[in-house]
Amino acid sequence: MKFKLLAVVVGIVAVALASARPLQAHHSFAAQYDGSKAIRLTGVLTKIEWTNPHTYFYIDVKEPDGKVVQWGLEAGSPGALSRRGFKRGDLKIGDTIIVDGYRSRDGSHLADARRVTLPDGRIVSGASAGDGGPQ
Amino acid sequence: MKASDVGTRDSGLGTREPRRGRRPRLFAERVALVVLLAAVLATPAVAQELQVDDFKSDRPTPRTASGKPDLSGYWKGTRQTKPGGNIGKDLPGWKLPLTPAGEAALEHNLTATVDPEALCIIGGIPRHNASGLPFEVLQGANKIAFLYWYSYYRLIPIDANRKHSDDPDPSFFGEEIGRWEGDTLVIDSIGFKGEKVWIDENANPHSDALHVVERWTRPDADHIHVETLIEDPKFYTKPFTYSRTWVLGKPGEEIQEYSCSENNVNRDHLGFGPGPIRKDGTRGYEDPAPLPPPVPRTAKPGQK
Repeated sequence: MKFKLLAVVVGIVAVALASARPLQAHHSFAAQYDGSKAIRLTGVLTKIEWTNPHTYFYIDVKEPDGKVVQWGLEAGSPGALSRRGFKRGDLKIGDTIIVDGYRSRDGSHLADARRVTLPDGRIVSGASAGDGGPQ
Repeated sequence: MKASDVGTRDSGLGTREPRRGRRPRLFAERVALVVLLAAVLATPAVAQELQVDDFKSDRPTPRTASGKPDLSGYWKGTRQTKPGGNIGKDLPGWKLPLTPAGEAALEHNLTATVDPEALCIIGGIPRHNASGLPFEVLQGANKIAFLYWYSYYRLIPIDANRKHSDDPDPSFFGEEIGRWEGDTLVIDSIGFKGEKVWIDENANPHSDALHVVERWTRPDADHIHVETLIEDPKFYTKPFTYSRTWVLGKPGEEIQEYSCSENNVNRDHLGFGPGPIRKDGTRGYEDPAPLPPPVPRTAKPGQK
């Protein structure tokens, strides 16, 4: 039994190593985003761009005064996201999602989506690996 | 389940009747497996970068029909390359020997230029060798191709008799000539661009006087290594070196389509330079604000 347990452990570690992914970054996180401005946005998906060098999705966020503001949210490349289990089909227009990330330094309504909470409660990483941003 | 059930056959966790002759898995074993599996699954993919030492290889260097090492393969960076993206990696304190003109060029890059790669301009050499991105090598008898993410490539003739041009047109990869010295492929390059180039991810500069000599080896089947000599008398007071080892990718891994200009929203939002450089020589904030705590799984975004 000990041997079997060891075999399982070795197998899990082997899978973990085999699933290791290279660092990939199109730009430095700090070149665009403000590390002091963490933000949580909850809104309704209006547009999805599953594109290189980054995926973008856009949500309508209702502000306290009732005004609706569109936010653009940047995530990793399609290849990087799909490899970590964040698939194109996970996002659908009309979904309400929660995005935790950092605001763009230029003050625009653009944020880096480090963590995305999907409608089913699943949490996925949107981070661009290797960009020097908070992981 | 009661606390006293732990480790007994009736722990309550395994209601299925065990098969004849097979000892039911102990609760402690199950816990250990669950904890290990959870730890593995919870580890972000970005933190699972490979170590060169994870791949002790006893597979010999593959060779071509002519007996030369075959450098072909999909090559991935490792965590042992520290600090990543910094061409001064092998220098004390990562301090580059900049001339006054080099200091001025660095200041210009930091304060007045957007990262050329982020604008979908070819990074060139030696920047691609300092990049975190994997690359692929396809080796022929008289030519070798390096394929990069962003759909960039360089084709290098392997010809011991070829000489550099008197005045090559500047390019991002330069005028490259390869030759074999024993089992080492030497790539000698001049004729570089002096504008819209960073020599690494940290915005360090190079001029059009850059001369790069790469010495590539494949010590075994699973590793490729480069020793790079960088000379640039305009911007650096003396030559310096940069060395690095990559590990072989898994079967089936290869460069994929990556159209950098398809939707480069960043173009209109990026600031100048790479942002702050940390004490460890990498890019990023030393102490970023934490994200809000994760939303509990029981609470879904669409629910009130």
